[in-house]
Amino acid sequence: MAAPDTMREREAGAPPAPAASSRTREVARLLVSNRLALAGVVVLGALVLLALFAPLIAPFGINEIAIDRRLEAPSAARPFGTDQLGRDIFSRVLIGTRISLQVGFVAVSIALVFGVILGLVAGYYGGKTDDALMRLMDVFFAFPAILLAIAVLAILGPGITNAMIAIGIVYMPIFARITRASVLSVREEVYVRAARSIGAGDLRILRLHVLPNVAAPIIVQTSISLAFAILSEAALSFIGLGAQRPDPAWGLMLAEGRGFIQQAWWMAFFPGAAIFFTVLALNVVGDGLRDALDPRQKSAIESRGMVGS
Amino acid sequence: MVLLGVSVLVFAIVHLVPGDPIQVALGTRFDPATYEALRERAGFNQPLPVQYVQWLTGALTGDLGVSFRSGQPVMTTILGRLPATLTLAFAALLVALVIALPVGIISAVRRGSVVDYTSTVFSQLGVSIPDFWMGILFILLFSLTLGWLPPSGYTPLTEDPLGWLSRLAMPAVTVGVVSGSVLTRFVRSSMLEALGQDYTRTARSKGLAQRVVVNRHVLKNALIPFVTVAGLQLAVLLGGVVIVEIVFAWPGLGQLALTAVERRDYPVLQGTVLLLALTTVLINLAVDLAYAFLDPRIRY
Repeated sequence: MAAPDTMREREAGAPPAPAASSRTREVARLLVSNRLALAGVVVLGALVLLALFAPLIAPFGINEIAIDRRLEAPSAARPFGTDQLGRDIFSRVLIGTRISLQVGFVAVSIALVFGVILGLVAGYYGGKTDDALMRLMDVFFAFPAILLAIAVLAILGPGITNAMIAIGIVYMPIFARITRASVLSVREEVYVRAARSIGAGDLRILRLHVLPNVAAPIIVQTSISLAFAILSEAALSFIGLGAQRPDPAWGLMLAEGRGFIQQAWWMAFFPGAAIFFTVLALNVVGDGLRDALDPRQKSAIESRGMVGS
Repeated sequence: MVLLGVSVLVFAIVHLVPGDPIQVALGTRFDPATYEALRERAGFNQPLPVQYVQWLTGALTGDLGVSFRSGQPVMTTILGRLPATLTLAFAALLVALVIALPVGIISAVRRGSVVDYTSTVFSQLGVSIPDFWMGILFILLFSLTLGWLPPSGYTPLTEDPLGWLSRLAMPAVTVGVVSGSVLTRFVRSSMLEALGQDYTRTARSKGLAQRVVVNRHVLKNALIPFVTVAGLQLAVLLGGVVIVEIVFAWPGLGQLALTAVERRDYPVLQGTVLLLALTTVLINLAVDLAYAFLDPRIRY
């Protein structure tokens, strides 16, 4: 995975700082040695490929209605069966991968960008700015996540785009908090003070000296947030506030399938299973990343490995 | 301070909606007399800061306005739904604790054993499973296939205790499994931390039995951080309850909030959101206080 990347970088004649290179390789090595995390990475990679090539793989159109074939049980031709309009569920679940990954990606990007900026500013400048920003984040934390998303969607109106914004807002405070905490710990480091003493501007210090050194917890949080963003989107679509008909979003398909649960279990089963596996893969990768990036955890894994061998 | 911020945010919901919220809420049932009455009742004819102060003083005295739809006081509607949500939340927390405490403790004490490995796998699965999907699968299995439990609905405990339990079981387990999976991890890690402490080694070197060491020395210390997590989890659990209520047609605040969104009944939505946020803040406060009580080293 990351190992060939490092090699390519070296061949390209852009030698990264030795510390960064060995760090990347170390993380890659730990990820690979953690078989579970590796499996998660593989599943995730497969999902991304499926999402990219879904229109080519899908045997039927997502809105190809065939009333005479409605509520057909899974068969060789239609592995996941058909829904109440005779649409092929396999094709719809496949295309649904795109929606889920896209929503997760966009929502987490919103949370990441705004949260990290707020956290950097709060942690680096401290004082009143810090107080004001963190109290504001505390306010957001007072709401159960899904309820905050529902409230935001009540204002913006239902829809998949608004769901992305709502989820982004919900997960922003956690990024702000994590970034701030790490910034506080590196703010007074010698290298930051040295940069300041040679006259580097705040923006330069933040970008070149602070951000790279607080990246690890942010990366871990990103992969975990992706899992929960996808879960949240599915929940919002399930209750009718996210994706709208006839989009093949997993949460929405599950909601439709719920009405036919007695006649056609497959309608609710497969979209739900798709959500489950995607979220699981992301969580496993997130855990693997945390183990690899957090030195305290790293020793735990390595010691377990020694006991095992 | 946080509560003040929460109140501003909740107050803002109705005013951030594009267009005239009352006109939108009334939709096709629009008639000028109702419109004016609701406007008057909601205080929309006054400047915004005045509206906020009025709304806040109202909320503090238990007046959350009237529903745009039914004309009923929001407080009455919410109080009617509260028992169902609280029942489900506490039952789910109970399920979560019954799973998390024994499993977490055993996997920490027998670290690296089959039990530990299995529980790690299951907690990973439990954290990742969509609760609404699990709920539907439960209905499919226990109601439609086996016919053991009623698929949905709510019976008050006072009317029919057995019916109450049979209807509570599936939603409570659904929410509880997810929370229990999260909590299991925390029990395990805080137990492991306590197991590695000097006092544990001292207790062991005194020749105390494993059971005594675990019960007296490790458990007591491990439970302190756990109380915080369990408290925070109760807040997360409320979020889960909101969704699972919809799966099981459980007449609680989650359903109320969703219906309010669908019908654009903003006062009801505001009241529900405010109440749940308030509950979350109070839980956090209670957790902080419990922390000080459990750990004599902390004094406020």
